[in-house]
Amino acid sequence: MAGRGGGRGRRMMSFSVEAVCINRGESLPPSIQQPTPLFPVMEQKPLPLTGGEEAEYLLALKQEFRGAMKTLPFFIQPTAAKKDVERYSDKYHSGEQTDGVTDWSPEWKRFPKELRVKKPCRNGLSAVTRSDKPPLGQNNNNNKTDKEEVLLKLETLQKKEEPSSEEEEEEEKKKKQEEEEADGEEEYDEEEFEEETDYIMSYFDNGEEFGGDSDGDMDEAVY
Amino acid sequence: MTAQEVRLCGLLLREHFGEVVEKVGTHLLRGGAQNLRIIIHETGVPLDLVKKSLCVLVQHGACVFSSGRKGAGSPTEYRTSCDRILRILRYPRYIYTTKTLYGDTGELIIEELLQRGHMTMSSTVKTVADRLTQNMEEGLCMDYGEVSNAFSKLVETHFLQRSTPATPGTPAAPVSTAPPSPESFPDCYKVPHMTLVGRGKRQLCSEDGEDQRNAKRAKMDSQAHGDEGICWQVNFERFHLHFRDQAIISAVANKLDQTSSEIVRTMLRMSEVTTSPTATCTKPLSANEIFRSLPPSYNIARPIVDQYLTLLVDDPMEFVGKAGESGGGMYVVNLHRALANLARATLESVVQERFGSRSARIFRLLLRKRHLEQKQVEDFAMIPAKEAKDMLYTLLAQNLVQLQEIPKTPDFAPSRTFYLYTVNQLPTARMLLQNCYKTVANLIERRLFESRENKRLLEKSQRIEAILASLQASGAEPEQLTEVEEMITATEKQQLEALRLHINKLDSAENQVDESIFLLESYINSTASTS
Repeated sequence: MAGRGGGRGRRMMSFSVEAVCINRGESLPPSIQQPTPLFPVMEQKPLPLTGGEEAEYLLALKQEFRGAMKTLPFFIQPTAAKKDVERYSDKYHSGEQTDGVTDWSPEWKRFPKELRVKKPCRNGLSAVTRSDKPPLGQNNNNNKTDKEEVLLKLETLQKKEEPSSEEEEEEEKKKKQEEEEADGEEEYDEEEFEEETDYIMSYFDNGEEFGGDSDGDMDEAVY
Repeated sequence: MTAQEVRLCGLLLREHFGEVVEKVGTHLLRGGAQNLRIIIHETGVPLDLVKKSLCVLVQHGACVFSSGRKGAGSPTEYRTSCDRILRILRYPRYIYTTKTLYGDTGELIIEELLQRGHMTMSSTVKTVADRLTQNMEEGLCMDYGEVSNAFSKLVETHFLQRSTPATPGTPAAPVSTAPPSPESFPDCYKVPHMTLVGRGKRQLCSEDGEDQRNAKRAKMDSQAHGDEGICWQVNFERFHLHFRDQAIISAVANKLDQTSSEIVRTMLRMSEVTTSPTATCTKPLSANEIFRSLPPSYNIARPIVDQYLTLLVDDPMEFVGKAGESGGGMYVVNLHRALANLARATLESVVQERFGSRSARIFRLLLRKRHLEQKQVEDFAMIPAKEAKDMLYTLLAQNLVQLQEIPKTPDFAPSRTFYLYTVNQLPTARMLLQNCYKTVANLIERRLFESRENKRLLEKSQRIEAILASLQASGAEPEQLTEVEEMITATEKQQLEALRLHINKLDSAENQVDESIFLLESYINSTASTS
C-alpha cells in the first residue's frame, strides 16, 4: 500500500483528487516559508460592545466588587520578601500589613480542626525566618523573650527593627548587659558559643554597637 | 477541568483573593483531592499561608473537605471544582438582578453575602443596615426590620439558602464522593427566629441622640440573636433559572412580539414553584388559567389569547408546545428545546461574525440537513463551487464542521467513498465554551498587563487624588487645589483617560462573554441531565 504511490513515481495523494475538487488546471496553494503571523489580519471586524445603562451599571458593580475584595481580610498577601537593607520605614510598614488579616475569625465549627491557626504571626518576616530555624528549643525561647523584649523597647526607646528572632534574643540580653555594665562582651561570647550561632552571627549587621566583635566575626567566618 | 478552565480560575482567584490563594487553588484544581501535607509540600507555600488560603476557599464554598479515602483517622482531604470559582464572573449580574427585583436593600444583601461567602442572618442585616444608613441623608437611619424583611423575602423565593451544617471530623460520616448539597437538608429555606431590633448606625455620629443609641447598640451587639451557627449563602441555581427564563422571554419578544412574550412570562411565572430545576418542560397549564393570570394591564380578549398561543405552538422555535385539549388547551413551555435553540443561535452568530454571512448560510444548512456532500452544499447554499469549497475548508480547519466518511467498499478507497460534511451541535457547543473561557482569560491578562504597564501613572494619580481630598476636607483655597491638579500634566491626563477607557472596555467585554458562557453552559448541562 505504501509503495503504490512511490513506485509509479507520479505525484499521487492518498485521497482521491476529484472528490476534493482540485481540478486539473489548478495548482495547490503556495507552500508556507515562515511561521504564520502572530495576529493575522481579520477580514471580519468584530461588533462593538453593547453599551447602555445596564452594561455600565454592571461594569461599575464589577469594578467596585473587585476593589472591595482587595480590602477584605480574605485577600491574602504573600510574605514580604527579605529586605536587602534594613530601612527606618519598616517599622511603619509592618503594622499596615497585619491589620486586615486578623479581622476575620471564621466559625471554626464549620472548618476542619487542622486549619486552625494557633497564633497569628506578628510580622510577615518573622514567620519566614522563624520557619527557617531548625531546633524547636529556640522557638520556645522566642515566645518567652517576646514580652520582655517589648518592655525593653518601651524603656530604652532604641533599636526598632527585628531582623530575626535570634537577634532579638541577643539584643535583649545585650541591652541587659549594657545597663549592668558588666562583662557584656564576654557574656555575649559565651552565649554565642552556647547556642551554636557561629554562622548566623554574620547576619547581625549592626556595626555601631559591636565594633569590637566584628573582627571576631571575621575570624570565625573564615571556615 | 480543562487547561483553559484552570487558567481562568487561577486568574479569578488572583484578582479576588491574592496570589497565595491562586497558587493553592490551582494546585488543588490540577491535582484533585489532596490532604494538607501534600499541598504544603508541593506548592512550597508556608504552612500558615496554606491554612489561611484553605480557610478562605472553604469560606467561599470553592473548596470542600471530607475525611480521607482510607477511612476514619486518615487526614482530611480538600477538593476544589472549577464551577464555583467560575461563578465569580457572574457576580455583577446576580447583584443587578436582585436590584431589579428587590431594590437597593436586596442588592446590598446579596453583595455582602457574595463578598463574604456565607454569613449569619443577624450579621448580614446589621452590616447592610449600616451601609444603607451611610448613604441616606442626615438624621435618617435604616431600620433592621426592613432589612430583615427583604432577607426573608429572598429566602422565600429561594434566592438564599442555608449552608450545609457543619459536620467536620465525625467518624460516622460516610465517605461519599459527592458532598451533601444544601438542598438535602429539610430546613434549607426556613428563616430562623431571631431577636434583632434596632437601626443601622452611621460611621460618624456627633449628635447626642445618636450616641445614646450607640451605647445601647454596643450592649446589644454582644447579645446572641438566636441564630448562631446558621449560615446563609447565595443560591446560584435559582439565579440561573431566573436568567434562563429571562433569556427565553426576550427571545420570544425578539422573534414574535411583546404580547407573546408576556404570555410566556405569565406561563413561566405560574410554573416557578411547580417545575423542578432539571425539568424538560413546565407542567401543563390550561389556556383558561393563563388567561386569568395575565397581568391586568393587558386587556386582551380570550380568543386573541388563544390565537397567540396557537401562533407560539406553530412557531419553528418550539418554545411552547401543546400537551392536550382539556381546559381550552393545555400548554407547556419546552425548556430544554428552548435552551438548545438559543445555543444554536449563539453558534450561528459566532460563525457569522467570524467568517461572514455566506459561511453562516452553509453552517445553518448543515445544521438543518445533517449530512451533505460537497456538491449538495454548493447547490443548496447557492454559492459558486470555488467559494463554497474555500469556506467549507476554513470551517473544517476551525473544527466547526466535521467530515464523515462512508465507504462503499471495505478498503476505504478514496474514489469509492462518500465524504459527507456534518455539524454536531453538542461537541461544537463544548468547543465554543472552551473558547469563551480562553477569551475571558485573555481579557483578564490583557487588563492586568495594561495596569502593570501604567502602574507608575496610576499610583501618581491616586496620590494626587488623596492629596486633593485631604486638602478639600481641611478647607484649602482654590489656588492650592488647582496647583495640586496641575501636578498631572496634560499628556498624562490623556494617557490616564485612554487607560481607563481600555480597562472599562476589557471589563465590559468580560461581562458580555459571560452571557454567552451562561447560555452554552445551560445548554450543555441540560443535555447532560436528560441523557
